[in-house]
Amino acid sequence: MLRAIRIFNRVCVETLLGLRASGWSNWLVVSILAIALTIFGCVLQVTMTLKNLVNAWGNQIQISAYLAEGADPKKVAHEISRFPEVKQVEIVTKDVAWNEMQHTFKVASIENPLPNTLHVKLSSPDQVEVLAPKLRLMSAIENVRYPLKVAKKINDVRHFLELAGLFVTTALSAATLVVIGNTIHLVIKARHKEIEILSLMGVGHLYIKCPFVFQGAVYGACAAIMASVVLVGLHLYIDPYVKDQLLSLAPALTQNLEYSMGQTAVLMAILGVVVGAGGSLWTSGRYIKI
Amino acid sequence: MIRLQNVCKNYGGTPALSNVNLHIGLGEFAFLVGPSGAGKSTLMRLLYREEVPTSGNVLISGVNLNRLSKGQIPLLRRRLGIIFQDFKLLNSQTVFNNVAYVLRALGVDEREVGKRVGSALAVVGLEHKRDSYPTELSGGEQQRVGIARAIVNGPPVLLADEPTGNLDPATSLEIVQLLERISQRGTTVLISTHDQPIVNAMRRRVIALKKGEVVADVDNGYYELEMA
Ligand SMILES: Nc1ncnc2c1ncn2[C@@H]1O[C@H](COP(=O)(O)OP(=O)(O)OP(=O)(O)O)[C@@H](O)[C@H]1O
Ligand SMILES: [Mg+2]
Repeated sequence: MLRAIRIFNRVCVETLLGLRASGWSNWLVVSILAIALTIFGCVLQVTMTLKNLVNAWGNQIQISAYLAEGADPKKVAHEISRFPEVKQVEIVTKDVAWNEMQHTFKVASIENPLPNTLHVKLSSPDQVEVLAPKLRLMSAIENVRYPLKVAKKINDVRHFLELAGLFVTTALSAATLVVIGNTIHLVIKARHKEIEILSLMGVGHLYIKCPFVFQGAVYGACAAIMASVVLVGLHLYIDPYVKDQLLSLAPALTQNLEYSMGQTAVLMAILGVVVGAGGSLWTSGRYIKI
Repeated sequence: MIRLQNVCKNYGGTPALSNVNLHIGLGEFAFLVGPSGAGKSTLMRLLYREEVPTSGNVLISGVNLNRLSKGQIPLLRRRLGIIFQDFKLLNSQTVFNNVAYVLRALGVDEREVGKRVGSALAVVGLEHKRDSYPTELSGGEQQRVGIARAIVNGPPVLLADEPTGNLDPATSLEIVQLLERISQRGTTVLISTHDQPIVNAMRRRVIALKKGEVVADVDNGYYELEMA
């Protein structure tokens, strides 16, 4: 136990030595990694927000199914509720609808022209286009209507952002790996004598590689902190503006403008440490042979 | 202690060692001699598992090095003291820290480090230089530091590949005599060299290699020119 602590201590000291020896390239690595993580974090948060928006919107989406003359609303409703995409079916009989209409529009008292209607709520907004054709095919249903455009657009944007974000993050992570690789390679070169001595005197290669992997992990952690600071700063500037815009477009949705900074920071830290430590491990595996 | 059975080592088809059989017992002191390219360093590298034989077995304390996994190599090397021609000292570290370096890396506690380094430095007669840096030492003193580092873990086997290659004749003799003293305390010592006067002054076991083959193996031996 004590021995493990002493070894850990040594590893930390050697990690610090490695960081000191790397000088300005520390900053290069951390900056590039921080840029990668910031973009990753931005995409993550925009995606989270859009997902929330779409979901909120989706909860309001419903398909209106107009029944054919003579179809029994209760029976049809029961049938529809068995579709897996359906969350809830609400029956609006033509009498109720007519009453309501007369109330609002003061129409002349003619015979009720409205059909019985079912309001179908979905378990997920993505399913609108799956469910609507199924309903249309039913003989008891004459017509269906649903608002689609906005939800679909938001979803498209989200998917595009996810893809673009994934691509950019991957590309930047790869670039970071190269820079980390070079930095660690230089440290390994500078310390090749120590490494050789340790290896020939029977120090395990895990211990020998540890300081380099730690160095990479430190890069990842620093970059994640920097990226978090940048993101928080961005929010301070951007959030009020976005809220304003959304308020004029769709006031009901403003409270759904949600993202989790904590979650983002944790994910950025994980990605940063994985990229940093992974890059170092890979490099030290390449250049440190026993 | 050290045993080689039908050991061959090829580098890309050309043999560096061919069919070497050898046994060096506990506490023995032996020279490995031969001209440049005879395979001395290759044999040494097989012993500390820097290389694996193309065929045949290398055993140390009965352990077949062929069967050693990667993770077990450090355990083998902790039981070997390795001494280098170029000393391999860290110039940025004091004599004391050079000897302590590996002990600390292995997590030995500082009081124990002080004790062990102190007695290793006493064996090589360098206690008074413990706070000097390698660049402030003569070649012979630097090699003594290398020896102190090799014995600090108390290994049963010492391997020295041309330990006197960079030293003048008088200093070389001192170093080899120091290694002999260490072997008298029960350590097996194998020294590779092509330094005739030294070998002949010591009159100990001589194993002669030529073109990768053992051509002579005699106790109280000489290193004769015709061997080479
Ligand atoms: N890593 C290697 N790759 C290819 N050939 C090698 C390698 N190491 C040694 N050899 C060859 O193996 C043969 C033996 O080399 P070795 O270094 O063991 O000789 P030596 O007896 O130590 O010589 P010296 O006295 O010059 O140190 C030589 O022909 C050498 O060229
Ligand atoms: Mg050699």
